[in-house]
Amino acid sequence: MRRAGSEPAPARTGPLRVVAIVVVVALFAVLIATPLVSLAHGAMDQGWSAMAQLLGGADVRTALWHTVLLAVIVTAVSVTMGTALALAFDRAMLPATARWRLALLVPLLVPQFAVTLSWTQAYGSGGLCDHLLGVTLPGLYGPFGIGLLLTVDSVPLTWLIVTAAMAVRREPDLARAARASGADPWTTVWTIDLPLLRGVLTAAAAVVFVNSVNSFAVPQVLGSAQGYQTLATLVYQQLTLSVGPEAFAQLSTTALLMVALVLVALGGAGRGLGGDQARYGTSGTPPALARDPCSRVVALSVAAYVVLVSGLPLVALVLTSLTRAAGLAPVPGNWSPAHYQAALNASAGVALTRSLVLAVAAGLLVTAMASLVVGVGGEWSRRLGTAVTLGFAIPGSALAVGTLIGYGTWLGGSAMIILMAYLAKSWALGHRVMSAGVDRMAPELTRAGRASGGSPVAVLRTITAPLMSTTLATSAGIVMLFALHELTMSTILYGPDTATFAVVVLNQQQLGEIGGSAAMAIILTLPPLLLLATGALLLRRRDHRLHPARVPR
Amino acid sequence: MRAGLGSVAVLALAACGSPSVSAAVQGPGPAAAPPSLTLYSSVTQETIDAVVGGYEKAHLGAKVTVFRAPTGQLNARLAADQRSGGLRADAIWGTDPLSMQSYSDQHLLAPWPLPELTSVPEQYRTADFWGTRLLYLVIVARRDLKPQPTSWTDLTSPAYRGQVAVPDPAFAGSALAALGYFWQTPGMGVDFYAALRANGAKQVASIPDVVTEVSQGSYQLGITLDSGVRTAMKKGSPVVMVWPKPGAIVLYSPIAMTARSAHSAAVKEFMTYVLSTQGQKLIADTGWQPIISGVPGPPQPARATSVAPEWTSLFGQQKALLARYRSIFVQ
Repeated sequence: MRRAGSEPAPARTGPLRVVAIVVVVALFAVLIATPLVSLAHGAMDQGWSAMAQLLGGADVRTALWHTVLLAVIVTAVSVTMGTALALAFDRAMLPATARWRLALLVPLLVPQFAVTLSWTQAYGSGGLCDHLLGVTLPGLYGPFGIGLLLTVDSVPLTWLIVTAAMAVRREPDLARAARASGADPWTTVWTIDLPLLRGVLTAAAAVVFVNSVNSFAVPQVLGSAQGYQTLATLVYQQLTLSVGPEAFAQLSTTALLMVALVLVALGGAGRGLGGDQARYGTSGTPPALARDPCSRVVALSVAAYVVLVSGLPLVALVLTSLTRAAGLAPVPGNWSPAHYQAALNASAGVALTRSLVLAVAAGLLVTAMASLVVGVGGEWSRRLGTAVTLGFAIPGSALAVGTLIGYGTWLGGSAMIILMAYLAKSWALGHRVMSAGVDRMAPELTRAGRASGGSPVAVLRTITAPLMSTTLATSAGIVMLFALHELTMSTILYGPDTATFAVVVLNQQQLGEIGGSAAMAIILTLPPLLLLATGALLLRRRDHRLHPARVPR
Repeated sequence: MRAGLGSVAVLALAACGSPSVSAAVQGPGPAAAPPSLTLYSSVTQETIDAVVGGYEKAHLGAKVTVFRAPTGQLNARLAADQRSGGLRADAIWGTDPLSMQSYSDQHLLAPWPLPELTSVPEQYRTADFWGTRLLYLVIVARRDLKPQPTSWTDLTSPAYRGQVAVPDPAFAGSALAALGYFWQTPGMGVDFYAALRANGAKQVASIPDVVTEVSQGSYQLGITLDSGVRTAMKKGSPVVMVWPKPGAIVLYSPIAMTARSAHSAAVKEFMTYVLSTQGQKLIADTGWQPIISGVPGPPQPARATSVAPEWTSLFGQQKALLARYRSIFVQ
């Protein structure tokens, strides 16, 4: 989204630009294209007829049906809820405080497997609600629970996308005109806001759909033992059931089917976006609704949502991590630090360190790679940006299998192959952040620097880098968080001495070490939460200093 | 194109100092190097840590690089290795003979390299792998469950309708052994699983999951390993161990050298240690029954009996067993 009123950045010229394009194309070939080609090659290992036979098999058909069904339902519900939340904030039906926003963002900051574990410990049989109230959530293990957890994961994503779009795309004058003409708030939303957001909602739906198809931890924990397979868990199952050569052809075919499904969905979303022209309206605030009883009901509903979705499960997770044995009441008399001590023992501690190193490496490298893409400028930047998005769209299982086939001979089981998969998958994340940052930067500043005789390097060092520092940090931070929590690809790619912390948590969970898994999940979850809370606090203090009149917020 | 790009990538990444790349390129170290090896295992972490730690302490300079994961995950590692240049392990220490036999069928294992060792009973040996410890499948039940079950067939009793947890034999090697035993036993067969299913029994992922789920009250009883129940009881979980009639199902946890191992001397040293009195004591200390006589294991109930499948007739039947099971038990 380009800053209103600014000129598009001109395409850079010269040998440096050519070198940058070549480097980006080479990285794309190594990180994304080669795994995809390898995956196709692997799928055809046993011949076309074996491939067709597998695709027509009951396992694959059932998993495909489950995957599509879940993704469609989760997308519909998440986009509806996320949009409703965004509109509620926009219309001041909810107090736009940092605490509210942080609370809604929690599911995004907690790894999916930790969210899943926390829900089983909060609402499952023998969980916190069972202990306190004798109440359990029926259907938690199975399609209902999987859909519910995927929705919980996707609502904040949709909310963020819609909120960001509304910040630059809303047409407050239209909304005011509608209200002045006698339209009630709901008619205004229905006839003004939603039509304007059509393109954004389509994009949000595409992201959520892809996210649901890609999801591994939730269906693996809540569905696999019950026999409810999705394509992502079927790939994993095919990998674990046989050591024969046919196993890889089978799982490559299934993974390729996932890629096809995602590309079809993205293609459909692209057509949906085709007729949507970006509208960059005047900035301003739409008419706020009076704080009427309806607002209070909305605020209470959202508060209840936050407590049920994030609060209670996180409390249950902490209590599980402290309780010394499964089946004991989570009361102080049964608490022990043993699970935390075990979680930080030699091998788990090494895995945690490895995860942190991989996350930092991925954050820095992806930010540099994304800088290259946006630095190219012009049409090439747009094309390359679209190309790297493919890495994010390819399901993690498929990317991991393709990377393994492509590079396993040389790098199999190493930390390097895991890092390559992280880079391929998160390149688009870094690029989106960098691209948005560059779009917000006034090009006049760099032009002035160059016109004043500054060399490109001097302009980069003295103007661009300081202005982009927040964007660079955001890009690196988001990618680090992604890498720290990543499980789908790591669990396929890790080898001797290269297990990541997330893999160790999954293995602990699969070994029934529920307290140990909970302690590890807390260790992995707390740092980003504390970081975000600290950031929100600092921002609030800064706002307080700059705008004392807004203190009540 | 793939090979070309791959080569470029490897050169670039090797420059970043990946130890694995260096190892792969350089091949095995000089003869004077310490006896190092890579071990793939599905044995519990505590046991692996104890035995590997003991071995490294007893062999100064030795280094055992371990890949430890549940049996299914171990299969995934082996499949990945197979597809990308060949097995990287020097030794495999598994949980059950059926999974190990499937590795043997794929020609991944070398013939047993230590025939001079005689301490392991005949019934726990094959041409490629030997047992290292004994595992007993028993029933775990809630402490307050009335009446407590006494036999395997009790699991199909209406008294326990919807209360029984069964481990996934595709995930856990020991659960596969139980499936093999029930399959072979006259009067039980696959009908036993059909009866369990009809009685509302539910599948959970792993053997330890059964103990956790029963401890938490999700189920009242289930099939699991003795060691896990003892550990849970020791920690205070509200469960008891039932040694069912006609006996706990015993299986052995085998170890083997891989066909591609370039460190056979180190593997032999390690295997010798595992089957030594010292190695067996460490196994016993972590809750398992040693395979050699003379080393005391965890306590068992008085007059405890055990039953076992006829392993050799089960070898090669793994896929058929699992397919039949899934047709009955999984949606």
